[in-house]
Amino acid sequence: MAKLELRGVGKAYGATVALRQGDLEIEAGEVHALIGANGSGKSTLCKIVAGSVRPDRGEVLIDGRAVTVRGPEATGALGIGIFYQELSLARHRTVAENISLPRLPRKGGIFVDRAAMAAIADRHIALFAGVAGAGFGADVPVERLRPDQAQLVEIMKTLASEAAILIFDEPTSALDRAQAERFFEILRERKRAGVGIIFISHRMDEIFAIADRVTVIRDGETVGTARIEDTDPTAVINLMVGRHEAASADAPPDTGGEDGRASQSAAQAVLAVRGFSGPGFRDIGFAVAPGEILGFGGLHGQGQSAVLRAIFGALPGASGEIRLNGDALQPTGPRATIARGCAYISGDRSRDGVIHERPILENVTPIHFLRNRLGLAHPARLRDKAAPALEALKTKFAGFGHPVSSLSGGNQQKVVIARWLIDRPAVILLDDPTKGIDLSAKADLFALIRDLADEGIGIVLYSSEDAELLANADRILVFNGGRVTRVLSGAERTRHNLYRAAYEAA
Amino acid sequence: MKGAPTAAAAGPAGLRQFLVRFPFLPALCILIVLLALNGIFEPRSLSFRSLTGIVSTYLALMMLAVAQTYVVYAGDIDLSVGAIVSLVNVAIVALLQQMGGGGLTVLAVLGIGLAVGLACGIVNGLVVAWLRLQAIVATFATSILFTGLALWIMPVAGTPAPAAVWRTYGGRILEIPFVFWAVAALALVLAILARTRLTTQLLAVGDDAVRAYQSGLPVTRIRIRGYALCGVFAALAAFCVTGDTASGDPLVGAKMTLSSVAAVVLGGCALSGGVGTVTGSVLAAVIIGLINSLVYFVGTPSEWQNLVQGLAIIVALMAGVLVTRWARS
Ligand SMILES: Nc1ncnc2c1ncn2[C@@H]1O[C@H](COP(=O)(O)OP(=O)(O)OP(=O)(O)O)[C@@H](O)[C@H]1O
Ligand SMILES: [Mg+2]
Repeated sequence: MAKLELRGVGKAYGATVALRQGDLEIEAGEVHALIGANGSGKSTLCKIVAGSVRPDRGEVLIDGRAVTVRGPEATGALGIGIFYQELSLARHRTVAENISLPRLPRKGGIFVDRAAMAAIADRHIALFAGVAGAGFGADVPVERLRPDQAQLVEIMKTLASEAAILIFDEPTSALDRAQAERFFEILRERKRAGVGIIFISHRMDEIFAIADRVTVIRDGETVGTARIEDTDPTAVINLMVGRHEAASADAPPDTGGEDGRASQSAAQAVLAVRGFSGPGFRDIGFAVAPGEILGFGGLHGQGQSAVLRAIFGALPGASGEIRLNGDALQPTGPRATIARGCAYISGDRSRDGVIHERPILENVTPIHFLRNRLGLAHPARLRDKAAPALEALKTKFAGFGHPVSSLSGGNQQKVVIARWLIDRPAVILLDDPTKGIDLSAKADLFALIRDLADEGIGIVLYSSEDAELLANADRILVFNGGRVTRVLSGAERTRHNLYRAAYEAA
Repeated sequence: MKGAPTAAAAGPAGLRQFLVRFPFLPALCILIVLLALNGIFEPRSLSFRSLTGIVSTYLALMMLAVAQTYVVYAGDIDLSVGAIVSLVNVAIVALLQQMGGGGLTVLAVLGIGLAVGLACGIVNGLVVAWLRLQAIVATFATSILFTGLALWIMPVAGTPAPAAVWRTYGGRILEIPFVFWAVAALALVLAILARTRLTTQLLAVGDDAVRAYQSGLPVTRIRIRGYALCGVFAALAAFCVTGDTASGDPLVGAKMTLSSVAAVVLGGCALSGGVGTVTGSVLAAVIIGLINSLVYFVGTPSEWQNLVQGLAIIVALMAGVLVTRWARS
């Protein structure tokens, strides 16, 4: 008998069908991966199990008995713990408080048992000892943490539920390799203890590393389940996209003209940076030639994002020389750099991108307003401008007037990207832009980026996924401890070289 | 960022972290400055007697600032606190007038006063959290309701409170003024409340109500409890008002509502919720009191007093907000 079973679960938001037909069986002691394109309904399915979304139809069974999950409050008693894709942390509370928040230890009826809370926190922080990174501790407010550290806290909070059913909705999207490895060890341990685990990720390698079974969900419908040893990534992707396409391989892109590009002098460069230092990075120098995609690689949080944010003017305290098409650029603030034609796209949508609760149209057009100094809105004309940009990315949305928060994570990201494409920028800084984007959307995105590069726009790409970097960047700067320790170009761009440079002590 | 902290950066960074941990520090600094200014312009204003006077007058506002703090913690607001003060004030004065001013009777009546405050708070909580009306509009509406009740109980101001009440409030116990005992008791109660689960839960709800709900917190119940606590402290504020003015007045609290909001902000709370301390709110209530007395001591002509008070409060608010913003940047 399955630990958790979903039968024909469905959910619609007005005209949008979030989940058409969810059928799923989780055994005790298995890791069950769920994979599917953006907006295919994975998070909706998880939220239904966790009680934060009420299904329109269908049944949820635990240990063979049908249950009604009346709300997240009820999950504790039912033995369900969930990691939310968009995290459920209170920013100003400490790590310890967040870990215990759903079940604050009680003392004397009304008081928080601080000692017990600290003990719970210490136990869970110890699980990630050595990989959590600097500045992590039980008493640190969550707002002071890096995104990967916040994600670790959400993981700890989920584990602290000690539930028999654990749901992880993209828990590894911000983690570096060491953190993810540690997390997988913990999952294996829980699995041995008989916990049933749902694991969602867009990273195929992770799924094949940890899952016992994988279920593919497409357009709100669970279309197939397979044992991991009976399938392979190509089969999974084929099932996911529902059409037969070769899975994109690791192969470097067309290298024609490669050397010509790399040897172009800094004078012709779209973007040239020299002796650039700031919080989290030192003495960075590089030049992006027209038509070139320059990659930033290495382990997570080695200064790649910081450099991009500093160039964009969003990270004060940096010094050094930046030239944009030969003219000096003072990154005094995003307004100044945007006016000069800088575009910055981050994977951290909720912090850097999306204007929550506002319509999609308003989310696509702010840069257009800024660059053209528009004072008055003319919705019909703006729509004409916004529509091609959104279409180029195959964004799935019901209407311009719908709030952006009604979109899935991946489609929200497309809206953020689209806003930079209305007016042609001089340089695009991509800061891990594909976080939470499905595979086919990624392919669309990188095809588009290559087109933009060919038009002469300078592109700098930081990606936490090595495969993405190897497949798309013409040159890769490997970051380690805030410095560029290696530059890989041409045939050197192999996974082996990348790993070696990334793992070497700085 | 992994950036190695340099020795030079440790200074301001350390101060910032300190400020984030103790958000009431700016208020404390402003308070000390104001005390010094008061002392310079009128040395007698720092005498024990006049400090006792300030505390007697502004203890009610301290209580009310505390009341407001608990709802602001959760990202809500209560514009009916002043009306609750008025209602409790006239209710206890009317009851005492009918039942006489004996010791036990007074205690019983105070108990009823607390119950009235609690009931008002629960009504607010139900309207805001359960019926999901906008807090700012809903509590404005309930404030009219509560004021209406107060006017029904006592249509005109002026009914005197029994001597036992104001003698106790203005008197001394063991040579120490009663109001200082009250402040000590308030400090104790606040210290206890700070350790409750409710405080942590209120702050978590204020941080992000949806996330708190997804975490499994009973958000509606928590917000109602915040309003209930607010009602109780508003009743305590009403007791102080009654002790200080020695009479019933159905409109006495009206002008205190926005002062309580100002105190909460000045004390370091974010109106969006999730950040703040009751200590800061209490200090800020005293600041507002000191500003008023300072304006008087520097000899501002009476027709200018309101204007100068307003300006001084704006300056204090700005200083507090700027420091807080710097600390959080
Ligand atoms: N609260 C909501 N209101 C309206 N539509 C919603 C809401 N939540 C989800 N949807 C829609 O339901 C669909 C499924 O969303 P869901 O978040 O489950 O996708 P997902 O598979 O988790 O995608 P991703 O990989 O991008 O996280 C999307 O098209 C989304 O726009
Ligand atoms: Mg999702």
